[in-house]
Amino acid sequence: MEYLSTEKILIIDLASSAVEEEELEESLVSEKIGGIGITKYLYEKFENDDPIVIGCGLLTGTTYPASASGVITAKSPATGKLAHCPITYKVGVEIKFSGFDYIVIKGSAATPSYLWIHDGVADICDAADIWGKDVWESTEFLRELVGDDLLQTIMIGPAGEKQSDYAQVCYNHWNSPDRFGFGKAFGTKNLKGVAFRGMGLIECADVEDYVSRSLEILKEVKANDFLSKQGIAELASAIGEENLTDWLAPITHRHSADYFTPYATITALFMDEDPKIVEETKVAEPGILTSDIYALIALKKAGFSAEDAGRLLRETAKYGIDPLAVVELSGKTSLDDCTAAFDGLSGSLALKGKGIFSSWCPARPIFNDFGLSGDDAEAIAWWERRQAVAGIFGIQPLFALMCPELSEENMLELASLGTEIDLDQDLLDAVVAYVCD
Amino acid sequence: MGITIDALKCTNCMACEMACSYHRDDGFAFLSACIVAYRAREKQDYFGVMLKEEENLVVARPEGLEISRIGEEQDPDKEADASAKPMLLREGCDLCEDMDDYGPMCVAFCPQDAITLVD
Repeated sequence: MEYLSTEKILIIDLASSAVEEEELEESLVSEKIGGIGITKYLYEKFENDDPIVIGCGLLTGTTYPASASGVITAKSPATGKLAHCPITYKVGVEIKFSGFDYIVIKGSAATPSYLWIHDGVADICDAADIWGKDVWESTEFLRELVGDDLLQTIMIGPAGEKQSDYAQVCYNHWNSPDRFGFGKAFGTKNLKGVAFRGMGLIECADVEDYVSRSLEILKEVKANDFLSKQGIAELASAIGEENLTDWLAPITHRHSADYFTPYATITALFMDEDPKIVEETKVAEPGILTSDIYALIALKKAGFSAEDAGRLLRETAKYGIDPLAVVELSGKTSLDDCTAAFDGLSGSLALKGKGIFSSWCPARPIFNDFGLSGDDAEAIAWWERRQAVAGIFGIQPLFALMCPELSEENMLELASLGTEIDLDQDLLDAVVAYVCD
Repeated sequence: MGITIDALKCTNCMACEMACSYHRDDGFAFLSACIVAYRAREKQDYFGVMLKEEENLVVARPEGLEISRIGEEQDPDKEADASAKPMLLREGCDLCEDMDDYGPMCVAFCPQDAITLVD
């Protein structure tokens, strides 16, 4: 598959240390399009090896608005079902530019290991120097080792190493949408994490028309009123769950976005620095970046101050554990008690729909109603389809819930322009049905 | 004509970087861009934009624009970040002079209108 692709699937067997490459065949794209469509296909192909499959959407890393995301597909230790966790921040894009569209990780390593994937090369590395370290220390160690502060990581912390059902894979330093215990899936493989960096070039079949249409779609997106808003508190208000605005305001620093995502879904909370600071802080760890709406809502409802909520999020990110599970399942209402409860959680979080997409994403439209009536069952069916489509094409999953201008029709149009493959609505319907089955 | 950047409007999404690289490479990449979202101070949540012009390096920091002539010694207390180094090896901004339908691509693609074209 020459276009919108690195043309490569990486197959790593941790048990034998074998690293193989397969060509991403055009016929597979014609059948499954990309992203979740292909990660699920690869999971099923290698199911006997209990694989973790990492991949990118077909449009990931292009000029299509919000083409930011990748996906981890694996059997959830928390639910026992196949599940898909979006890869957010700039990590999803880095995967594609590091030289592989899809990475299948089979088997278990004999000793703790991590994967270093860079410019089309994949190495299985000894993780002795980072096993036992937290997520922040591990990411920083690898960045220093490689000498590149822009190295992007998928990393587990002590929770994953201890194989907690609530262990979360984290992205760089931050909590992720992982509500599936994928941190445990990494830990059981003796896999500390995966580091990505790449300077690849993604070819596009009809690049002039692709870019031209991308810009037209961006202009339509920018005409939408919700783009005057930013940050996580606005998202919580929009879904009518809890007003976080006044609570978070005293510690809110700035808002930032995933790759080319017009709404800034990431909010920086500064607990140990003046959040009004404009210049670069000298404080090593001033706060936390978060886009976890429901963890913050749960913390506020539990009576946490915003500062302690930020501190707990920071501790969960370092430990690599799902902050919502900590708050909801521990029943604790203080920073110290919650932190002490990391290793003693039991119970399960509520799933949304069939439980194959992360409940980190609200199961309803945000800011725009998408023509829905307000019926819960209708909203869940819409949400699962929207998450599936976002996962197939690599669209930031929160932004997909906000922006009707990112339509299935124009995603298919751009995918066809970019690949020279005729990808139509019937095919997308079939792939969505396959993914949601 | 030139480009000006409001780093406080920037959300660090890298759209400018991708759009600029497309202008250089006719594909999707980041390596050739003369405008870069600097993002190495992730834990400090400190980000902005760097632009290499023909003769100047423009660093749009949240606290304001800093323009230095390429070749002059930099203020050691205001190091940009690691990604500043290869910036000097890249081609300078030509305002996308061959992109008649768009103007500068970074301006066209910035979702926040943080990058604008000025006389």
